[in-house]
Amino acid sequence: MRDVVVIVLAAVGMFVSLTATVGILRMPDLYTRVQCSSKAVTVGTLPVLAAVVVGQGPLTAYGGRALLVGLLILLLGSATAHALTRAAYKAGVPMWPGAVVDEPHEQGADGAPG
Amino acid sequence: MTRVYEAVCVLELLLMIALLVRLARGPSVTDRILALNTISSQAAVAVLCYAAAAGRSSYADVALWLASFSYLAAFIWARYLERGLL
Repeated sequence: MRDVVVIVLAAVGMFVSLTATVGILRMPDLYTRVQCSSKAVTVGTLPVLAAVVVGQGPLTAYGGRALLVGLLILLLGSATAHALTRAAYKAGVPMWPGAVVDEPHEQGADGAPG
Repeated sequence: MTRVYEAVCVLELLLMIALLVRLARGPSVTDRILALNTISSQAAVAVLCYAAAAGRSSYADVALWLASFSYLAAFIWARYLERGLL
């Protein structure tokens, strides 16, 4: 029973990680790639870490560290994605030409005329 | 159980090799930082699974180190980019 749970969790996590990789390779501009990276990497790594916790027990050497790594990824992954995207927008990384909305530019918050 | 961890480790390695394409091509610096950040969080999971498969608990500390310091590096890069020093 425990083996089945571990296999299912690992398979789900690896599938989502695969979609994250395909998204980072195929998406047209930086902002959509950050979306793939932040969400899909979080959702892809957490089930694999949960598989380690289930397989080894939460208070063992591996399970405890897996919990800590999962907590770090949850807390810091989204903050890093926000910081990177904000820095890229201020540095003027271009958007995909098919993008339909650019709210900081419309509100004049990016300092550019328009 | 060990087989599952080994399979996860090998698959993560394949994903990291695929992400190296974005690291090499990525038009802007931020694309490269993003690819590197993704690679290091996948590497943390791969190292942890390898530690569990090999039964060496000291390797699991490497995963903890990778997970905490890769994000620190990305934060510092983002700060430099935002202030225009790079």
